[in-house]
Amino acid sequence: MYDEYPSVKIRLRVDGKHYEVYVKPYERLVDVLRYKLGIVSVKEGCGRGECGSCVVLMNGELVPSCLILAIRANGSEITTVAGLAPEGKIHAVQKALLDVHAIQCGFCIPGVALAIKWLLDKNPNPSDEEIKEVLSGHYCRCGSYLRFIKAVKTASKYIREGRIYFDIKEVIS
Amino acid sequence: MNQIPEHLRIVEEVFSKYRRFVYVGKKLLRWDAVSKVTGRAPIFTADFVSRYRDALYVYSIRAKYAHAIIKKLDVSEVSQYPGVVKVITAKDIPGINDVGYVVPDQPLIVDRKVRYIGDVLALVVARDYYIAREAAERVHVEYEKLPVITNPLDVIDLKTLDEKKHVLIHEERGSDVVARYRIRRGDVERGFREADVIVENEYRTQFQEHAYIEPEAAIAVPESDGGVTVILTTQCPFEARKAIARVLGLPQGLVRVIAPLMGGGFGGKEDVGNVIGAKAALAAYLTGQPTTIIYTREESFISHSKRHPMIARYRHGAKKDGTLVAVEAKIILDTGAYASLGPFVAWRATVHSVGPYRVPNAKVDTVAVYTNNVYAGAFRGFGNPQVHFAVERQMDLLAEELGMDPVDLRFKNILREGDETVHGQLLSKDLGVGLEEALRRAVNLSNWYEKRRKYSLHSKGLVRKGIGAAVLWHGNSIGVEAADYSSVSLIVNSDGTITFRTGLTDFGQGALWGLILIASEILGVPPSYFIIERADTSAVPDSGPTVASRTTVMGGAATVNAAYKLRQRLNEVASHILGCSPSDVEIRAPDVFCRSNPLRRISWRDVIEEAHWLGIPLQEFGYYRAPSASWDEDTGQGSPYITYTFGAVIAEVTIDVETGEVTVDRIYTVYDVGKVINKEGVEHQAECGAIQGLGYALMEELIHDAEGRVLNANLSTYYIPTVADTPEIIYDWVESGYKQGPFGAKGLGEPSLVGIAAAIANAVSHALKAEINELPITPEKVYLTLKKLSKLRNDVRM
Repeated sequence: MYDEYPSVKIRLRVDGKHYEVYVKPYERLVDVLRYKLGIVSVKEGCGRGECGSCVVLMNGELVPSCLILAIRANGSEITTVAGLAPEGKIHAVQKALLDVHAIQCGFCIPGVALAIKWLLDKNPNPSDEEIKEVLSGHYCRCGSYLRFIKAVKTASKYIREGRIYFDIKEVIS
Repeated sequence: MNQIPEHLRIVEEVFSKYRRFVYVGKKLLRWDAVSKVTGRAPIFTADFVSRYRDALYVYSIRAKYAHAIIKKLDVSEVSQYPGVVKVITAKDIPGINDVGYVVPDQPLIVDRKVRYIGDVLALVVARDYYIAREAAERVHVEYEKLPVITNPLDVIDLKTLDEKKHVLIHEERGSDVVARYRIRRGDVERGFREADVIVENEYRTQFQEHAYIEPEAAIAVPESDGGVTVILTTQCPFEARKAIARVLGLPQGLVRVIAPLMGGGFGGKEDVGNVIGAKAALAAYLTGQPTTIIYTREESFISHSKRHPMIARYRHGAKKDGTLVAVEAKIILDTGAYASLGPFVAWRATVHSVGPYRVPNAKVDTVAVYTNNVYAGAFRGFGNPQVHFAVERQMDLLAEELGMDPVDLRFKNILREGDETVHGQLLSKDLGVGLEEALRRAVNLSNWYEKRRKYSLHSKGLVRKGIGAAVLWHGNSIGVEAADYSSVSLIVNSDGTITFRTGLTDFGQGALWGLILIASEILGVPPSYFIIERADTSAVPDSGPTVASRTTVMGGAATVNAAYKLRQRLNEVASHILGCSPSDVEIRAPDVFCRSNPLRRISWRDVIEEAHWLGIPLQEFGYYRAPSASWDEDTGQGSPYITYTFGAVIAEVTIDVETGEVTVDRIYTVYDVGKVINKEGVEHQAECGAIQGLGYALMEELIHDAEGRVLNANLSTYYIPTVADTPEIIYDWVESGYKQGPFGAKGLGEPSLVGIAAAIANAVSHALKAEINELPITPEKVYLTLKKLSKLRNDVRM
């Protein structure tokens, strides 16, 4: 029975903040982030690593948090979309997504933004084919795909120009 | 009743005389974009779950068979499992055990029999999901299996449309036919006698799944007054409240439904909210504790409605010059185990069944039937993509028989201003009839004639190209389905911000942003001043459902009403301070001045303060009731919809002959939207509709086995388009102006999907020189079609 499993204390650093939390060995990282730590910048769409909504950067690698057991994440550094930029700022990738009007329902956006960030970290100037390969792991039922491709190019330009963070206030007005 | 309301008329006059649009028609960043991209705040229903730490999880124990009588249900072992708080069965329901949307045919928890594999036998309420799921394994059910029907043709005869003898799925209703509709116009027999060319064919379409990325969720909290508050993924909070109150046996006022933004809806979240909301509310009501449900992807697949599969026989007759003289159609829709919105879907399919053409003689019969499949209901297009696939294929076949270009045949027959529809509805100028212009622009944008000729010559080799066209129409709002009204509230706060409230919801399409642009335009206040509140049944009156592409048209007209009344009062207050006449007052917040003397100037805040001291209320309720619609049940004659959105779609495809794979290269769409209100929104709709339509055309199909089990209930086996499948999408708008619409606007949400599959099918057919009568057009089907064709050619050669 589930009561028989021990709770294990794990340590996580999420978006720059330290957390200590007790988890059961069968608990998934996505559930611990969302429902134990209240970090809602991670979304869950399928629970099977198919849709890309729940991806996080775990020690710099892009992983679906629905397929990672929380205990396996012990001691790791996790970045969600909320941690891409300091308070009051947004990251070039987020700015680019806004620039091209890519946001519709927005459910896939946290995953897509992290995938773009990860791609640009590896390759600051990716080709269309490389962009499509990475983003084909992210379903967007609102069909913002063409805008995502544009956003990657816009973000790539910002980053190459050294413009990494933007004031949120600037974006809104 | 059908006169244009005064406020709409005056607002239009003002804008056509002195004002240029500042916000309407502009591409502005929607209000929720920043919060969605930064991710810090809770947005969707499930994001609020962590605020209810002790919430119990409600798990649904579902049927093992698709059709069986429940002889015995034993949940005692489930109840005893550690961590289980309560097990709820049908007999625990205090109110009425029904969540049927149009027809009372759908129990929340089954008591007597199961009709499909998503049926729920009991709810396990436990400390968490894992415990509930584990406990659910301990249920003991004795079933008496009944024959499973997955083919609607086992229920109804396609030729006669008579119900066949079979073991009834809904024996309590005495028939498995849910709805029948018909159109009788002119003399169809005489029409065919006068025809020079007749084409006849059978068409089939499949179950399509919405596959919104956000699965359904609900949080229910018992309240001290004996009622329940439910935070819920639902397009229609008032419909959900009605269903929940009915199940709990409570007055509607004791049930509060809050609808956060949704991660996609597309019609699928029209009635599933009633089901999941009632489950969570029932568990909270019976346990006295907060409860939550978050569906897994598999549950989402099998427990919300799908797009109806269609089987249809169409017969078209035309004169030598291409003039249509008669259309006859028999249409069967499979609504699965429960009616859901099936009767309304069947009606919309019937209304649009002959396409946007002048048809003097028509005979159409539509039947919706039950099967043991997953139930079908609302899905963007609502019966219309199915019939457009059939009609537009028929038009291409006619063109081929007549030796005409398919676009020329369409130009010959499409509806124009002053024409009568097949229902005898006059398409007057006031309705906005821009189909001809839309088709002309699509033809020019795509360079149709040249490509059609070029690809026609290109019929050998391993790569084939094709180009296909489709025209479409889509009745706006809900027509005769129900009373058609909407409402919004505008409240000017003392700091100058404006609270916007409506019971209309946003499932991602951003339609509420269009309403804000309308309010901004009329009030003269930038969109950034507005705060859009979450739809909440305790904060707004019923605004009607968020369905049928009606938010911009209906909610927009209500917004015009509220903003107009508020603006009148603001002008009076401002004139009081400025000393010029109210009609001379110009508001361009933060400034307010006299149009005749712009130096006489005060601030927006001054006006608000003055109104406060004068005791003039700065809140308004806007209401709009659509012109009445009509429909004769025997003949299908009348005025079924207030107006129609028209459009033309052209698709270009490349086909790999060796693999059968179809690649869509480009989709051109031109929609007559009456007037573009929200530029960002119409672009999004055009792209989203094209991509979802592409999925429908080429890859999406929910598959049931002979036992009614769903074989592909997840996203790795049910394919939806990815970035790699996305073609170039080129779009344009015709603004024909609909007199009753806000600034002339019509709806676009659904129409943007309606013609896509038809155009792609026509393009594939052009490339292959073969008939395509069935969706989806998978590589297997293309490959087998080619193989059959080459065999035929070889046989001829021998």
